[in-house]
Amino acid sequence: MSNIYKSKKYILLFLLPAFLFLIIYLYYPFFVNIYSSFRSIRTLGTYGKKWNDPWFENYVKLAADPVVWISLKNTLLMIIATILGQVGIALILALLVDNVSRGTQFFRTVFFFPIVISATALGLLFNLIFLYDKGMLNQFLELFGKTELTDWKSEAYALTTMMIPVVWQYVGFYFVILETGLNNISEELYEAAAIDGATRFQRVWYISVPLLRNVICTCLTLGVTGALKVFDLPWTMFPKGMPLKMTFLTGTYMYYQTMEAKNVDYGATLAILIVVLGVVLSRLTRMVFKESEDL
Amino acid sequence: MKSRKLTAILAVMAMTAGLTACGSQAAAPQSAAGSDTGATEAGGVEITVTTTFAGEDTNAKNYKDAVAAWEQETGNKVSDTSATSDETFKTRVITDFETGSEPDVLFFFNGADANDFVNAGKVVSIEDIRAEFPEYASNMNDDLIAASPADGVKYAVPVNGFWEAMFVNTKVLEEAGVSMPGADYTWDQFLADCGKIKDAGYTPIAAALGNIPHYWWEFCIFNQQSPKDHLNIPESAGDAVGEQWVKGLEDIKDLYEKGFFPDNTLSATDDETFAMFTDDKAAFLLDGSWKVGGIVGACQSDPDDPSTLDAEKVGHFDVTYFPGKGDRKATDLVGGLSMGYYITQKAWEDPDRKDAAVSFVEYMTSDEVVPKFAQHTASALKNAPKTDESEFNALQVKAMNMMSGVTSLTGAVQDLFNGDCRVPTFDGMPDIVEGNVAAADAVQEGIDIYQDTLE
Repeated sequence: MSNIYKSKKYILLFLLPAFLFLIIYLYYPFFVNIYSSFRSIRTLGTYGKKWNDPWFENYVKLAADPVVWISLKNTLLMIIATILGQVGIALILALLVDNVSRGTQFFRTVFFFPIVISATALGLLFNLIFLYDKGMLNQFLELFGKTELTDWKSEAYALTTMMIPVVWQYVGFYFVILETGLNNISEELYEAAAIDGATRFQRVWYISVPLLRNVICTCLTLGVTGALKVFDLPWTMFPKGMPLKMTFLTGTYMYYQTMEAKNVDYGATLAILIVVLGVVLSRLTRMVFKESEDL
Repeated sequence: MKSRKLTAILAVMAMTAGLTACGSQAAAPQSAAGSDTGATEAGGVEITVTTTFAGEDTNAKNYKDAVAAWEQETGNKVSDTSATSDETFKTRVITDFETGSEPDVLFFFNGADANDFVNAGKVVSIEDIRAEFPEYASNMNDDLIAASPADGVKYAVPVNGFWEAMFVNTKVLEEAGVSMPGADYTWDQFLADCGKIKDAGYTPIAAALGNIPHYWWEFCIFNQQSPKDHLNIPESAGDAVGEQWVKGLEDIKDLYEKGFFPDNTLSATDDETFAMFTDDKAAFLLDGSWKVGGIVGACQSDPDDPSTLDAEKVGHFDVTYFPGKGDRKATDLVGGLSMGYYITQKAWEDPDRKDAAVSFVEYMTSDEVVPKFAQHTASALKNAPKTDESEFNALQVKAMNMMSGVTSLTGAVQDLFNGDCRVPTFDGMPDIVEGNVAAADAVQEGIDIYQDTLE
C-alpha cells in the first residue's frame, strides 16, 4: 500500500513531461544553434548549404568584430547601470518610503507602474521625450533659454539616453522587493535603537541595511542577469545600433545579425557568446553577492 | 494499489495533455497571424493580407476604403498587417515565409527581394491561378507584368507604378533665394543651391542616412551611369560598374561632409526628417511617388479627411527631377511597376481561403480600383480610364506635370541586389559618410554576399 510513496519511478514519471519540454524547447535548439554557428546560413529555418571555411570562421570573426566589443562594453555598462541605477535608486526609495507613516501604498503603486507598461510602448514614449525637433526635453530646455537643439541620440548622448528609460522602468520592481524586505524587519529593533538614542539615519544604516543584505543580494543577482536580457526598449529607441552601431547590446546585435543582416550563422555564434556570458556572470554574481545564512 | 497506480498514470497524462494544451495556446496567435483561421461567422472567410499601403503611403486611405468595400461586398474579412515599406518590412515578410507564418495575400516587390519565397515555391504563379480562374488579372496587359528574376515566371499582379523624384519645399527655396529646379538641373547647380540654402539657415536635404539611405544610394549611383547600364551589378568594387557605385557613395559622403544633411541625419528616423521637410525646415526630399499622400496628409488638420486640406500649405510643395550628372539626364528617373499582389501557396491549398484570396486580388486589381491607386503613376491596365485632373490635389497635378517631362523610367538596381547584399552599404552608410569604412570596401562586401547567394 505504501510502496507507491517509496517508489522513485513515479517521481521520474512526473518529472518526465517537464524534462521533455526542456529537451525539445531548450537543449535541442541550443545544440542546433552550436551546429548552425559552423554552417553558412543566410535563410532562417535552414541549415545552409555548406560549412564555413574554415569551420570556425565565425569565432575568428567574433573576436575581431569591433561591434562585438562595443556590444560587450555596452552590456557591461548596462549591468553597472542596473546595479547602481535600478537597485541603488530602488533601495533609497524603499528606505525613504519605509520612513513615512502615510501613503506607502500610493508610492508603491506609483513606482511600480512603469513595470506594467510594455517596453515597446515605453520606447516610443521616450522617443518622443528625446526627439530632436519638438521633443519634450528640448522644448523644456528652450524655456530656460537654450537656443540650439540637442541631439540626444547622437554619439555623445546615445548610451545615456538608452539607459535612462531601462533603469527607470525597473526601479519599481526592485523597490517592491526591497520594501517587502523592510516590512519584515521587526519594529522592536527600531524602537530599542530609538531608546538607545540612535538617530533616524543610524537606524537605517545599522539596522535596515544590514538586515536587508540577503534581499539586496537577490535583487543584484536578478538585476545582473536581467541586464543581459534587455532588448525591446533599446531596439525600439535605437534600431540597428543607431548611431554608427554604437548602441548595440549583445542581444540586439544578435537579433540584428540574424533578422536584419540575414547572417544567421553569425547570429548563432553571437547567441553562444550570450549563453557563455550569462553562465559566467551568473556564477560570478552568485559568488560576489552570496547570501548570508546568519540573517 | 492498482487504482493508485492508475491515478498516478492518469495524472501524468493529464499534465502532459495540459502542456500540450499550453503549447497549442501559445501557438494560437501565430496561427492567427499565419492565417490558419477558418471561416468566420456568417459563412465569411478571414484572410490575412500584408501590403505597404500604410503610414504615409499615398494609398493608405484608398487601401482601407477598398478593403472595407470588399469586405462588405463579399462578407469576408481581412486581417491586415500592412506596414510602411522599408527594410524592416521586407525582413518581416521574408522571415514570415521562412517561419511558415506568411499571409494569404501580399503586396510585395517583384524583384530580387521576393527570390527567397519564389524559389521556395511559396507563392502561386498567375498562370497556375488562371488555370482555375481564367479571368484572373485578365484586365492587365501581360507585357507590363514583371516576371520574377528568380525563375522568369509571373507571380505578382501590379496595381500602381512608382517613380522616384525630388520633392521641393518652395517656401524654403524662396527664403533662401533659390529658384525652382527644372528639367535641366545639374549636380553642380544642386551643390550651389544647397550651399545657399544652408547659408540661409535651413537644412538643404531632409534625409535620415542612418535609417533610409535607399533613395540617395540609388540616384547617386544612377548619376554615374545611364539608363542603359543602370541595372548592371558589379562583379567587384574594382570593375567599371563597381567604381561607379563607389563614386556614387562618395558623392553622398561629400554631401554629408558639406553639412547638407540634417545635423541628426545619422540618428534620426525617416519620419523625423520628413517632418523637417513638411515643417518648412528643409528644402529637398528625395522619395517615391507614395510620398505625395504623406506630404498632402501633413497639410491636412485631419490626415484622414481630405476636406481639411490647407491649400496654401500644400502650395509650398512641388516635385522635380533629381539633378543630372554625366550621361544621366535629370529627366531620367527611377520607376516602374515594381510591386504586385501575390497569392501564397498556403492560401491556395485551403479551398475557402483560395477563393477569398483570388476574389480579393481581383477586386484590388479591377479597372475601378486600380486608377484610384495609380493616380499620377502608371498602371498595367489594358483599358486605363482617362484621368480627370479636377479629382486631384495641387501636388498630384504637379507630379503629373513632372511625369509628363520624363525621358526614361529605369527600375531600381537595389531591387535586383538582394536584401542582405545591401546591408554593408545601407546599414553601413553612416560609417561610410563618417569615413570609418571606405566606400570601396563596403561595396565589395555587398558584392561578396551577392555572389555567395548566387552559389
